[in-house]
Amino acid sequence: MLRWKYSRPLLGLLIALLALAPILGANPLSRPGLQQTMAVAFIWGGLALTYDLLFGFTGLLSFGHALYFATGVYVSCILINHEVVVWWLAALISIAVSALLALLVGAASLRTTGITFAMVTLAFGEAGHVIIQRNFFNLTGGENGIALNADRIPSLFISVANTKFIYWAALAALIFTYAVIWWVTESSAGRVFAALRDNELRVQVLGLNTQRYKLLAFVISAALAALLGAVMLIAAGSAAPRFADAGVTISLLLMVVLGGAVTRWGAVIGGIFYSIATTRMQDLTQQESFKTIPKWIGGPIAEPALVLGLLFIFVVMFAPGGLSGAYYRLRLRAITKKSQ
Amino acid sequence: METFILIGITGIGLGALYFLIASGLSLIYGLMGVLNFAHGSFLTVGAFVGFWVASKMGFETSMPEFILAMLVGGLAAGLFALLIEQLLITRLYDRHIDQALVTVGVSLVVGAVLGGWFGNDLRMFPAPLWFLSAIDIGGAKIPADRVVYIATAVLLLVGNWALLKFTRIGLIIRAGVENRNMVNALGINVRRAFSTVFFLGGFAAGVGGVLVSVYSNGVSPLIAATYLIYGFIVVVIGGMGSVPGSFLAAMMIGVIRQFANYYATGLGDFVVVILLAVVLLIRPQGLLGKVRS
Repeated sequence: MLRWKYSRPLLGLLIALLALAPILGANPLSRPGLQQTMAVAFIWGGLALTYDLLFGFTGLLSFGHALYFATGVYVSCILINHEVVVWWLAALISIAVSALLALLVGAASLRTTGITFAMVTLAFGEAGHVIIQRNFFNLTGGENGIALNADRIPSLFISVANTKFIYWAALAALIFTYAVIWWVTESSAGRVFAALRDNELRVQVLGLNTQRYKLLAFVISAALAALLGAVMLIAAGSAAPRFADAGVTISLLLMVVLGGAVTRWGAVIGGIFYSIATTRMQDLTQQESFKTIPKWIGGPIAEPALVLGLLFIFVVMFAPGGLSGAYYRLRLRAITKKSQ
Repeated sequence: METFILIGITGIGLGALYFLIASGLSLIYGLMGVLNFAHGSFLTVGAFVGFWVASKMGFETSMPEFILAMLVGGLAAGLFALLIEQLLITRLYDRHIDQALVTVGVSLVVGAVLGGWFGNDLRMFPAPLWFLSAIDIGGAKIPADRVVYIATAVLLLVGNWALLKFTRIGLIIRAGVENRNMVNALGINVRRAFSTVFFLGGFAAGVGGVLVSVYSNGVSPLIAATYLIYGFIVVVIGGMGSVPGSFLAAMMIGVIRQFANYYATGLGDFVVVILLAVVLLIRPQGLLGKVRS
């Protein structure tokens, strides 16, 4: 077994610490600023995990995952602002809408495989992005997006002093996502997903309906992404077209590859790291000392995409498996050395 | 009638731009199985180098100067593509997903470097003044630049066809698209064909970059994004690995998009995606694509 025997108790301890940190007296996490950063990071961690279910576990390279996240953000925001239903029901409906959308899009695009599938999902995802930007029926607010009507959500989630509730909501969403994906990937359907990734023909020969299993993974992943989208709506306070951008999916891909696919925790760590890195890097480049670097080199470094892109190329070329892959290689080496 | 011709030719002009990026994507995919996300950066590199050449000439360029800028831009993009292929793609031989991932990384890095150097604002491209004039075709006033796009795309299609049809390397490329293992087994080095395809694809994208920056009224690191996505759609609809298929699909999409946008504002992109879905359902291998065994 490659798992370290203390990993589960330690994980429990870490979650308890993260959950209690906002009320445990003076520590960095008792500041609303860091709580907000961490809440957003948790959402990205969860989102990366839903992407890992597709890309890592099932072997589906989708470039349209942002569509389902944005569906969660936008559908719940529209339903809440237009006073159609109460906020939590709006979130549930947005999850259902996202699952239905994934069912339709998946049924069409899963007729293709591999790289073609990537292109097709990208096209569908971009169509969603365009529809949001076009502001049909004045619903999505076009380029500016829509601000969430704060009167329509519980007062717990409003005002800076209450940021800890957003933090807890995001942490809960991450844990829920993790639990569902853990359950799915360890179930018999999860075994089929992995088999589809490794040898689709074999699964077909065994008499299983491969399309149906792929569609299942696609829909589960989309529904969870919508849930995280609804939480993101509360954390961000608005629905903006940037949530539907193809860049979102590419970021998710980066998170999963950097953290390491198929290990679950790798994707989560990758997402949290990526989210914090992009926000912190912007702060860093605002500092005075940074301005002394000549512009031709400082300009590109100020763009988070440069460092992340280079790191990404490095990992793909030289360290497949990312962070968690490297960890397991070290563990393997330690175990084999011990047994000798 | 005039409106009809105007929209039709404008659509073909737009389709010509799509074709310039899709032709390379299609060949690279057809031969090597690489989904090239860096193709957008080839376009941007070509646009910026072309812009640099053209702006040396002043605030406007004559037609020969513009063609020079276009060729230099294309050449720079082709060499850049070659560099990426040699440095990164060949080392991930046959690891298709990783190859696609690496090109995503390249596009991020190129975007960051160009964005850091030049900022993301549009810079006016010094194009010949007569691009703004109108040409009378069947009573419709066609903007002259559209004709340039179409002529360039047709030239590229013919050049591509001639190269594939009449040269030895073209023969190897065609055979490689059909069955790469067989070509390898016959003792022919397919690697050179890979490099050629990358260079040509980069060249077409670079030329396209110069034209796109005229069409979008300026250069910026962001101009490539929509064209890359349309390039993918064109490749899927036209059939992977088929350059004539890409041409056909690009024209179709350009025209349909313009008409849809004219009769129902903003619906163009939506209609194109519906078209994509329909093609996938009826003919998953694309219009002129072959079913792979």
